[in-house]
Amino acid sequence: MNETTVEKFRVAAQMIGAEVHSCGSGLGAANAAVRNFSTSNELSSLLQELAAGGSICASTLPGDLEAHLAGLVVSDRSTAADATLCISFAGAGIAATGSILVQLTDPAERAATALATKHAVFLRSSSIVSTLRDLSASLKAQLLGADTTYFSITTGPSRTADIERVLTIGVHGPKELHILLLEGE
Amino acid sequence: MADKRINTNINNTFLRKALKNFATAYPIARAKAFEGIDFAALRHRIAVSKLAGLKRLPELIAQFTASAEKTGAIVHFCRTPEDANRTIHGIIQSKNADFLVKSKAMTSEEIELNHYLEARGIRCLETDLGEWIIQLAGERPSHMVMPAIHKNKEEVAELFSKETGSDCPADIPFLVQKARETLRSGFLTGQVGMSGANVAMADSGAIALITNEGNARLVTTLPQTHIALIGVEKIVPSLDEALDVIEVLPKNATGQKLTSYLSFIKGPTGGDGRELHIVLLDNGRTDLAANPEFQTALQCVKCGACANVCPIYEIVGGHVFGHIYVGGIGLVLTPFFHGFDKAEEILKLCIGCRKCNEVCAAEIDIEGLIVDLRDKIRKPFGQKFMFGTMMKNRKLFHAALRAAYLAQKPFQSAGGRIRHLPMVLNRETANRSLPPIAETPFRDLMLKRPTTPTLAPKQEKVLFYSGCLADFVYPEMCTDTVESLEGLGYSVAFPQEQSCCGIPARYSGEMDAAREMAKLNIDVLLSEEADFVVTICPTCTMSITHDFVKLLADDPLYAEKAKRLAAKTLNYSELAARKIPPSPPLSKGGETAKQVVTYHDACHLKRGCGIHEEPRRVLRELANAEIKEMSDCDKCCGFGGSYSIKYPEISQEVLKNKLSNINETGVGILAVDCPGCKLQIEGGLEASGSKMRVEHTATLVRERMR
Repeated sequence: MNETTVEKFRVAAQMIGAEVHSCGSGLGAANAAVRNFSTSNELSSLLQELAAGGSICASTLPGDLEAHLAGLVVSDRSTAADATLCISFAGAGIAATGSILVQLTDPAERAATALATKHAVFLRSSSIVSTLRDLSASLKAQLLGADTTYFSITTGPSRTADIERVLTIGVHGPKELHILLLEGE
Repeated sequence: MADKRINTNINNTFLRKALKNFATAYPIARAKAFEGIDFAALRHRIAVSKLAGLKRLPELIAQFTASAEKTGAIVHFCRTPEDANRTIHGIIQSKNADFLVKSKAMTSEEIELNHYLEARGIRCLETDLGEWIIQLAGERPSHMVMPAIHKNKEEVAELFSKETGSDCPADIPFLVQKARETLRSGFLTGQVGMSGANVAMADSGAIALITNEGNARLVTTLPQTHIALIGVEKIVPSLDEALDVIEVLPKNATGQKLTSYLSFIKGPTGGDGRELHIVLLDNGRTDLAANPEFQTALQCVKCGACANVCPIYEIVGGHVFGHIYVGGIGLVLTPFFHGFDKAEEILKLCIGCRKCNEVCAAEIDIEGLIVDLRDKIRKPFGQKFMFGTMMKNRKLFHAALRAAYLAQKPFQSAGGRIRHLPMVLNRETANRSLPPIAETPFRDLMLKRPTTPTLAPKQEKVLFYSGCLADFVYPEMCTDTVESLEGLGYSVAFPQEQSCCGIPARYSGEMDAAREMAKLNIDVLLSEEADFVVTICPTCTMSITHDFVKLLADDPLYAEKAKRLAAKTLNYSELAARKIPPSPPLSKGGETAKQVVTYHDACHLKRGCGIHEEPRRVLRELANAEIKEMSDCDKCCGFGGSYSIKYPEISQEVLKNKLSNINETGVGILAVDCPGCKLQIEGGLEASGSKMRVEHTATLVRERMR
């Protein structure tokens, strides 16, 4: 994925109220406002800081990421209602809107991403596409496949403008959305 | 009754401020959201695919049902609201449940589900913040997307204090946090969850939900049973069509590129014990889909944009301008979903400015449907005589107008204008004065003119169709039209037998009378050889070029004639613009300094005929004017013909908005292309003590030639 698409994603996501954290020494290093992580320890401390002493729950993650979180105390998903931080993995990102595509077919994982105060999502920069349309073939395959499915395209934190049209963050879903951008494949 | 509600809302300062702020902010946010996107192409695609779907709706419903059942969902088709309520109650009972936790669904409002269930001992909890607020207040949504836009934070604080038993300050972040905490237990203990759907896909049986708050994901996840209540018109063939709807909806609704959550749900996920019930609501939709006259109404994607831009909605709000569905499309859907008795009053509230058509996400001719629906409602007493007998008979109608010249005399003030009418009509002149009916109408002035000389070689001949208002109230505007067109090289004739274009009849739902008037004018305007027919009233232009053709489409004799007349009819600015640059030059003297004007686009010229560039070119090139644009230059002035007499309070509030935009420009001349806009705006300016001139473009061109 080329750098402009990733940069567009970063700008769009931040504009809509998400925080983007970069792994490694790639793009993020040029941007002083972005907090980076390059080792498992740094990642753990970032996540612990986000949890601020509260409990953490996590969705099923790809093996390599699972390993990075080895040092983290992660509680059972059935206690998601009380979790401060939920960690999950996005299958794709959309540069035009700064959105992420998250698989939520398991109701327990879905509940965790919907109930926690903060949501931290890993996203591989190689999986960022330009627009929602670019995902249509893979979404279609999923919708027309044999299995039941539930997925969400999330754009920024939960928001409402239902009182006097004043934009207010965090009404029912997470108040913060952190995107943990992974460089490379 | 309706009048009382109108006045209550006009005087509700919070509502007025909230709606005005939104009306100002919305176009800016919307334009930004659509940056880089071809809105016209997108909405055209939606219109085409939606209409094709509606034409085979029963088939789409069957396909969706089969696909959804294959995923393990249980599908219920409900013909009436009663069916749907009973079905949903049955599902809840079968789970031994008594607590339904809901995310936003207009369909639930449509069938008044909460009322039905609560009467049967089932607790219903709305979790969308706006819906919860109005549930606590015991009200209906006043906007499809922003249900509680009419409530201020003080009212919300009071409702929340009462509900939670703790004192809530009128602080928005505090109130939102309070809602989060209070509703959280509802999500966790609700036994059955309910959502609507923004779109449903026939090939996969999946539904999509477009939300911001995150409550829809909770109500479709935490309870073991999920009920989705969906209007059958939401079914599209596949993801391709769904993505168009998803692309347009948030942008058009709230000016967001995308909402926080876009969720796709296919089947009951999570295995044992979890159920997904899809309740498909018909409630008149399959009949409407098969109704060629009104089926396009169901192309609606429920974005609410028609309310967002409506100048009347901006004044009175959704509790007046609509029934359960509000805004322009709400007026159209109400008779089909809730009965004509519920629609009679509200159908009259549309002023006909067509602003909604311009932004509609599905290219629906909302205004046209509203006008056509008026033909189907009960007509006020005396209206049939007025249009069927009097206006159809040109001599009788014109005799009445001449008599009015004498009747108005006692009410004229020093300058000749009418400032105060007798009590019964007094509301009409509260904030605007009216011009008098002229002593000598233009048609009589034309009789005194020397007969038209024979045409010079290559000279084009024009028949002038003046329209009643210009003829009887602004004869000088007509004279300026004739003289300026002659100055540009045209030969102009005025057929004396011409009569009212029939728009007042059509707008009042008297279609037969409108058809008769169309025929009469077609005969008059085609009987004399000419290259063009010109009008100076946009409503007449729209009437001749669009409505005559539509009204007479099935008439074996007149269908062709109507098309022939439409093809050669132009608005003044179009005809004048053909002569840019003028040869010889218009100005007799030396070059004078440019005069600065501001321009008001008449609704029927811009959105009825698609003309907005020509008038500006004519002003610049032929009237030597510099244009200083006002904000919302194409927003209605509040005239709307008889609308300003039927609803003077609303009309004058719309006018106030217009006047403040005009005054902000600080220029001395307002140019218009419509005698109705002139009447309305000039009256408002005069009543407020302003000295600004309001002139038809033809007058400004004519002045240039002196």
